[in-house]
Amino acid sequence: MEAGIIGYGVYIPRFRIKSEEYLKAWGLFAARGIEEKALQGYDEDTVTMAVESSANALKRARIDSDQLDGLFFASTVAPYMEKLSSSTVAAALNTGSEIFIADFGYSTKAGTSALLSCLDFVSSNRGKLGLTVASDNPEALPDEPIEHGLGAGSAALLVGKNNVVARVEDTHSSSLEIIGERYRRHGKQFLKDSGIRAYTEQAFNQALTISVTNLLKRLGAKAEDFAYAVFQQYDGRSPYDVGRKLGFKDPQISPSMVVTKIGDAGCASPLIGLCAVLDLAKPGDRILVASYGSGAGSDAVSFLVTDHIEEHRNKGPLLEDYLTKKECVDYVTYLKLRRMLGEKQ
Amino acid sequence: MAYISIPTYWKALPQRYCLIGLKCKNCGTINFPARDVCLGCGKKTEYEPTPLRRHGKIYSYTIISAGGAPPEFSEQERLAGSFGIAVVELEEGPRIIGQMTDCKPNEISIGMEVEAVFRRIYEDDGVIRYGIKFRPQLKSKANQR
Repeated sequence: MEAGIIGYGVYIPRFRIKSEEYLKAWGLFAARGIEEKALQGYDEDTVTMAVESSANALKRARIDSDQLDGLFFASTVAPYMEKLSSSTVAAALNTGSEIFIADFGYSTKAGTSALLSCLDFVSSNRGKLGLTVASDNPEALPDEPIEHGLGAGSAALLVGKNNVVARVEDTHSSSLEIIGERYRRHGKQFLKDSGIRAYTEQAFNQALTISVTNLLKRLGAKAEDFAYAVFQQYDGRSPYDVGRKLGFKDPQISPSMVVTKIGDAGCASPLIGLCAVLDLAKPGDRILVASYGSGAGSDAVSFLVTDHIEEHRNKGPLLEDYLTKKECVDYVTYLKLRRMLGEKQ
Repeated sequence: MAYISIPTYWKALPQRYCLIGLKCKNCGTINFPARDVCLGCGKKTEYEPTPLRRHGKIYSYTIISAGGAPPEFSEQERLAGSFGIAVVELEEGPRIIGQMTDCKPNEISIGMEVEAVFRRIYEDDGVIRYGIKFRPQLKSKANQR
């Protein structure tokens, strides 16, 4: 039996800021195709978000946390630079100490990297059940255009071999060295980018094209064979641009485009997009997920949805529950909640 | 500051992180947090750790506003505004005190259904103290049965 997704869950913080607030504050909103975005409350971080999405995934699969053999946490902004966050998530989930834990970061591709490691962990029988959780809240200085699109959110995928809701057909990854595209130096709090849209787009398209076209080749599949295509979501346009170049049509892409409502959720975005699609998918649907990582490459995964999806879906909170439960704030409140005003923590 | 040392905080992590109650082996009463003497039978007994279901109702509450927050919560009050502190009666019986989150003070009422969530409580000397807060029960379109 092969490893696949046996449970999924999301978490989106309650607060939102609309693009109009940026227009009022700055005279422009630099993030394309984003209507509003999510931001964490004062008492949240990527670990607290991960705990809730993980609990939702476990609940949906009706799995007790002490059955977990592995926990793979991904974030570009984990609360500590040294000290694992996966251990905090494991403790808060009450997994017990008999568990392999690992943290992933450094790139918006960290979520899919963690997922691939988790799939390997279960496929190789090192553990029966693994949990991948990607949780992100990228930060940049308020006067940088890249800041405008940055949002927050978390997605958790439970990996096992029994009662699989989405089977993994195949994967393909690429590595590209793209300098100065999206980066944060050691010891720095804020993200930077090249500020050159054409350069970012070229990097994004190149990395995704290598992973996706090779995956399709391996599968002997075409773009139209997929019900849904989920891409890394830095903004609301680039996934469509790259998707069209790869032969996908907009209706295959739009159901996963959570970025329009929550902003760029960093390494969590492709997995939140996958969860959005699992909330809708039918048995037999094929789903392509392709991440892109901060000037460095891409992971592409092909899923096949099984009959278990229908009974499984309503056993936990849906993405829509979190999207509708919201409180919109103005720009100054946004800066306060982001701790951009006052002492940095 | 109501100073709690790191080792003292750490000792109670199962309670603070996961809301693990302690069931009296003598009378079955669930104590939270740990007590030397059981609240139910008044005896010095042994306890069995029991995960609590994380749901309850607000028994009573108060609001912390400008100037009212202890030092470790003063920045929270300044940046995120007034917040509620509630006595929550859990489904299993124990009444516990916790901060309210994800709701405005005027949304809080006695009898309101709440659920426990894992949040940052405060931080001290760079060490994050995570723990349980309560928020209004999340409504879901999924039936979840």
